[in-house]
Amino acid sequence: MILTTLRPSASAFAEATGWEPKPEGLCRGEICVPAPGSLGSDGTVDAQIAAERLGMPLLHDEQHGIWALGAATMSGHELASATAADPELMDRAGTPFRLSSLRGRKVVLVAWSTY
Amino acid sequence: MVTVALDIFPEHTHQWIDAAKPTHPSLIDTRHVTGQLFGFRNIPMAVWIDENGVLVRPPEQASVERSPLRDMEIPEGLDARTTEMFRQVKAIPDSSEEYRAAIIDWARNGASSRFALSPDEVVRRSQPRADNDARAAACFELGQHLLLTAGHDAAVPWWREAHRLFPDNWTYKRQAWTLVTTAPDAEANDLQQGPNDVYEGNWLDDVVASGGGAKYYIPPSL
Repeated sequence: MILTTLRPSASAFAEATGWEPKPEGLCRGEICVPAPGSLGSDGTVDAQIAAERLGMPLLHDEQHGIWALGAATMSGHELASATAADPELMDRAGTPFRLSSLRGRKVVLVAWSTY
Repeated sequence: MVTVALDIFPEHTHQWIDAAKPTHPSLIDTRHVTGQLFGFRNIPMAVWIDENGVLVRPPEQASVERSPLRDMEIPEGLDARTTEMFRQVKAIPDSSEEYRAAIIDWARNGASSRFALSPDEVVRRSQPRADNDARAAACFELGQHLLLTAGHDAAVPWWREAHRLFPDNWTYKRQAWTLVTTAPDAEANDLQQGPNDVYEGNWLDDVVASGGGAKYYIPPSL
């Protein structure tokens, strides 16, 4: 997740990371990680607290004034839970697409590339 | 079936998607976020998602058809590096028949398929994620963002660091390499990704250093 501020909106944080900020903590599927102070009353997330609690690296490119929040490592595995993430991707026409639009159907998601 | 291309430039994918004429959703992941979120570190890889949005298989090699490259004779007269590339590709294990059969079994039998794993097992079977792997993801994303906002030179240092931190992530490497090894007038991305002046690594030397074609993929544990 690219950040131009260390207090992104909760919705943007959830969208990018798959972790939803709630009063009880940072949650994904049935997992909630307590993160006191991470969710602000203004609907923003303290990225530094969230990074520390979820084991996410937070890198800063000082020259360009941006940060990148990396993947969570708290589970020690690539998958923190079996709940499928639902990032917004695009189709061939550039139209947004979410895997959640296929709920009710089995999905085999296959990654490929042109290189 | 849903396919997702881990390609920074969506226009690179168009000729391939158009040629395939897919009847399934053909998606493009310009930020490689599916690598972080699903564990894709090479291609082709896949995860299976059930009707409730729960993963029933971890990310693993996802060939469903044996590549003809595996069975072809290596042409004579090629340069040494190209010949060795063929050898390494032919050494990549093939489980396409078993994997295709497993998909069909799950499609027919759903949760009762022996190939559908419990949530805990899916997580357990996913690859370890070290701190360096996560940092590499952040580095790659910074590089991708800077490529588009500040130019290629701004991306390179972050991508070099991503490669150093996570040498087993082939999408980070190959995406970066191809942007420097593809000729400006090429009609498609360069697949050989040979030695270049920008990055220390290249496909052949890195594959050999990592144990050869036999170690190139995470094979499905069926």
